[in-house]
Amino acid sequence: MDALSMGLVAAMGALATVAGASEDIESDIGSQSNPNSQVQLAAQVGNPHRIYNKAISGEPPANALWATTAAVVAYTLITKFAMPALFAIAIGASVAALFNGVFSTSAYFGRSASQRRFNQWIYLDIVRYTTTSIMAHAWITAFCITCIAYIQTAILTPHHPFPMPVIALIWGLTVGAIGSSVGDIHYGGEREFQWRLFGQGLNTMLSGQIVRKAEAGLRNSIDNAWFCTKLGGPLTGLGFGLTVFLDNWRTTVFDPVTQAGLAIGMGLFFVIIMNLYNFYVETSIRKKYGPYPGYKGDIAA
Amino acid sequence: MTVGGGAGGAPSAIDPKKLRVYGLAGALVGIYLAAILNSVLGTDIFSILAAAGAVAAAVMGANAVRRVCGYGIGTGVPSIGMLALGMGIVGASFGLSTAEQLGISMAGVIIALVYAMVFGYIVGAIANKVMGFNIPIMEEGLTDLSGAGAMAIIGWSYAVSGSLAYADMVTKVFNTGYLAIIFICGGLAILHPFNANLGPDEKQDRTLVNGLMVGSLATVAVGLCSLATLSTTAALITIVIGAAAWYYFYVWYYRLVKRDAAAVVGTGLLPPSAL
Repeated sequence: MDALSMGLVAAMGALATVAGASEDIESDIGSQSNPNSQVQLAAQVGNPHRIYNKAISGEPPANALWATTAAVVAYTLITKFAMPALFAIAIGASVAALFNGVFSTSAYFGRSASQRRFNQWIYLDIVRYTTTSIMAHAWITAFCITCIAYIQTAILTPHHPFPMPVIALIWGLTVGAIGSSVGDIHYGGEREFQWRLFGQGLNTMLSGQIVRKAEAGLRNSIDNAWFCTKLGGPLTGLGFGLTVFLDNWRTTVFDPVTQAGLAIGMGLFFVIIMNLYNFYVETSIRKKYGPYPGYKGDIAA
Repeated sequence: MTVGGGAGGAPSAIDPKKLRVYGLAGALVGIYLAAILNSVLGTDIFSILAAAGAVAAAVMGANAVRRVCGYGIGTGVPSIGMLALGMGIVGASFGLSTAEQLGISMAGVIIALVYAMVFGYIVGAIANKVMGFNIPIMEEGLTDLSGAGAMAIIGWSYAVSGSLAYADMVTKVFNTGYLAIIFICGGLAILHPFNANLGPDEKQDRTLVNGLMVGSLATVAVGLCSLATLSTTAALITIVIGAAAWYYFYVWYYRLVKRDAAAVVGTGLLPPSAL
């Protein structure tokens, strides 16, 4: 372990925190992933809306695409044209953001057009101002993840044996998975159904009954971004940042070849500590807020 | 992802058998034409033809996704697209490396296609019989998807490597990591069309034009990669033709969206019926 490596690991953690936050907000602006089910259902149960319907795929493949696109472009520019890394990564992220725009708009157009019988209109003003916000957040995610991949493959010693685009693909899948499981709940569980009692769960009869009206006028996806920036985005960032930082910290402090046992043991230690902490959080929340009104006891399966 | 339901039986104007022939024949012709013209004329500028073949295969794959997922697999659309490319990579690697071992690298594409389709059929049979999906066209759909995945991988890989030799694929596509973008962008070309158009009023032509659009975008991405592996002329040809095709199909797609949508408005409140 040397000071430079530790500094790089810290920088990777910071980049990952930013990437996680922007990833979650990007998916929330477009209502991707889990909350998308309800946005899609809303029109079908008679609630057409002015919310973006960015059904690209699950978040992991979509973010893998942005990150990989940025990484291949940056890798090409660095290896073939000897361009400075930061500049090359910025260009790569811009290409990724353009790709993101194509996928986002085609999904919004397609999904809305396929709900003709439910009278779901396509609003071009939404396409204009929401797509650019989505693309901007995708740019940040792609930039940060490609920087992490570059640090791992070119600066951090020992260099990672995988090529940079493959590392970016893996981190893209990871950030998507974390955003999908951490941040989406904040949007899908609370923002879409904010007038339901906390902890009630989503009754089947409420499917599609999402909040469509805002404090003034109709709710749009930028309003959702404002809400998710408060908690969902930062928490996703924290989750992804910790994943990247702790995972690389243990292989930087302990040599992965000569001290493999210690590195694995430290990984197991982190997993156990996090599980204990999760258990504590859940039980303390149940104690503070439960039992929920309307709870009639466990129903036998 | 969504639980919004599929196209319920997926009525189609273009017969899937016809599309299968177009897709597979297009892919084989594209890849072989590129390989033959490149080697006969001693150049690499015809690599774009292989990418065009890959787009044909991806469109056929998109139609297979549409047919299988039309039975109500909403959240499974992205998964089945990834599965297609996963099976395709196995088929492509097997075909190309076997052909190289036998000293007939030109036959690699055919071996890959046959192997991938058999592999897909087995995966489909397992999905239906063991896992109990009970979707009547599962075996047929996964056979198509696996074949389409293998052709997409080989076509776009050729557009990066400029050679069908397995050793070239390893150095130029696998070791550089360019396979990652071929995998994920190719996967999206197969899964995105139906996923983006999911809903009760989905139309086959709109879905397939979306497939052509995303396939062209993947060609642009592959062209950007080939800047590092092929001559600049060949790479620029791939990028420019890919971008032009993308623009053409995007405009076409938007035209079909306007045709099919309830209304396309500049701005406005909710429809009067919903206020």
